[in-house]
Amino acid sequence: MLNDIQTWINVAAYTGGGMAMGLGAIGAAIGEGYTAAQANAAVSRNTELSGDILKSMLVGQAIAESASIFALVIAILLLFLSVSNPSLLTAAALFGGGLCMGFGAIGSGVGSGFPAGQACKGLVRQPQVAGKLTTNMLIGSAVCQTPAIFSMVVALMLIFIDFSGAPLLPTWAALIGAGLSTGLAAIGSGFGGGLAAGASCEGVARQPETVGNVTTIMLIGQAVSQTASIFGLLISFVLMFKSYPESAALTASMCLLAAGISSGFGGIGPGIGNGMAAEGAVRWVARDVENAGGLMRTMLVGQAVSQSTAIYAMVVSLCLIFVV
Amino acid sequence: MEDLGRIYQLIIPVMGHNITLNLDVILMTWIVIALLLVFGYLTVRNRGVRPHGLQILGEMFVSQLYALTEDALDKEMAKKYAPLITALFMFLLLCNWIGMIPHMHEPTKDLNTPLSLGIMGFFIAHYAGIKSKGIKQYLKEYCEPIFLMAPLNVIGELSKIISISFRLFGNIMGGAIIVLVVSYLVYSIILPPFLIAFFSIFIGAIQAFVFTMLTVVYISVQVK
Amino acid sequence: MAVEGADIIKAAAFLGAGLAMGLGAIGPGVGEGMAAAKTCEAIGKNPQEAGLLTRTMLVGQAVSESTGIYSLVIALLLLFVV
Repeated sequence: MLNDIQTWINVAAYTGGGMAMGLGAIGAAIGEGYTAAQANAAVSRNTELSGDILKSMLVGQAIAESASIFALVIAILLLFLSVSNPSLLTAAALFGGGLCMGFGAIGSGVGSGFPAGQACKGLVRQPQVAGKLTTNMLIGSAVCQTPAIFSMVVALMLIFIDFSGAPLLPTWAALIGAGLSTGLAAIGSGFGGGLAAGASCEGVARQPETVGNVTTIMLIGQAVSQTASIFGLLISFVLMFKSYPESAALTASMCLLAAGISSGFGGIGPGIGNGMAAEGAVRWVARDVENAGGLMRTMLVGQAVSQSTAIYAMVVSLCLIFVV
Repeated sequence: MEDLGRIYQLIIPVMGHNITLNLDVILMTWIVIALLLVFGYLTVRNRGVRPHGLQILGEMFVSQLYALTEDALDKEMAKKYAPLITALFMFLLLCNWIGMIPHMHEPTKDLNTPLSLGIMGFFIAHYAGIKSKGIKQYLKEYCEPIFLMAPLNVIGELSKIISISFRLFGNIMGGAIIVLVVSYLVYSIILPPFLIAFFSIFIGAIQAFVFTMLTVVYISVQVK
Repeated sequence: MAVEGADIIKAAAFLGAGLAMGLGAIGPGVGEGMAAAKTCEAIGKNPQEAGLLTRTMLVGQAVSESTGIYSLVIALLLLFVV
């Protein structure tokens, strides 16, 4: 039964597609729900603005949805793809791609709900700055999508690059590990970027004249929060493009799988933590704009220290790949 | 795609050991150093009380980073360490930005550059710590809360080198790989310039600043 | 394809190392982020104490990072010693 390669490819593609869409739907649904809840609360405060709030809610939800649309694209690709050069490695790659996109969409979906919700809430507080608020929300939630886009890039590479020349036995684990690494690491960065963007929308609504500083600090905070997912992506690329000697031992495969798991899970916490630090800094820059430089420095140091566990995880992954 | 793993190396066998020199990285580092020297020369050539041209840029760098060091350390220490910190920041910034020019590579993309800078910062911080606290107090701090924790405290200190250097390396290398892969996927249409702008200019500047800040912070933690 | 006992044990050690570092990194990351967020809040309320607050934050983060360092130690032990 093992010889029937086409069956295994179909099994992997269908389970992978199911995982991609199933996991990918979690984040966007929560994020949009949060937006809708905040919009409802906002309408109840000032029913006259319900039209504007509804518009803002729909725009915000449309962006929060994009992560799950990426997942839908990957899932449909997996369902209807015809593989030109079938091998058992293709099956591993397709499953890895599905996992990558599924996990990767969670964080960005939840994250981009925060700026949208805070924008609706802010609209009712300061209706006259709706333009600034919407621009800030759009920038914030667009940057939130970056980790999901990283996952989509890795998923597309896993699906379309022909790995069939490599030896099956350790490489299958490398491909699944590559998917897990980027996918899991994207959860934290997406969520964390959302926290920072949410705080910036709240800040703009509170003190519209600080919008320049608030947006800048938000972008810096989000960029640093994305470090965790960049580390995951780095490990994924190493796993995908390193060539491995054939080895039937379980050890070789488990090394590569563990490398992906380590950098993937390792990115979740630091991503969220960096986002929290950025949230705190952005919130207080809006209230006390003279102190923006000092706050930014503290934020960067705090984020850098809280990243160190992600870096240890990356080092352990690199040891697993290159040393052991 | 095959650009990913290519490194130009000069391997010199000496008594059974191979000494490996990464020519690319060494060349790029020299270019960065030369550019900084030229910048320094041009900045002070026509200096006056009313700054103009390049002198404004140079004074901006020096005064900003001097203030930063003074915030973290005190005035006396700042006089000693600010030149180092300023030089470190300018070097890293130029290292991270030089990759924007075609056919140039960031020296920080190779782990050796950040690692050696990290080790340098580590030794400077501990030297400053021993000098200001005395060797007895310095050693005593490793035995907090009880002496059994000493090995873990030492590992905790050593892991700072890993975290500071791998942070810079991972960010710059990750950025370079993303730019390369996305350029390949979209056949170099439209997207790559924006990605380069984001990863080289923005992330490069942030990471240079973070590295510099952390070196200052490590010194200040040891001193206080 | 006979899988031997020693192979399985080694494979489990590697998988364990990956899990130890990966899962062990979550807590310190979030915790240190919380510390940084609260420090930013405190500096916002009381900017002239920024130096003291930053140092306190660093000490607190160093303590909360110790569990991450324990994970790293265990992961490296599993990789190279066991």
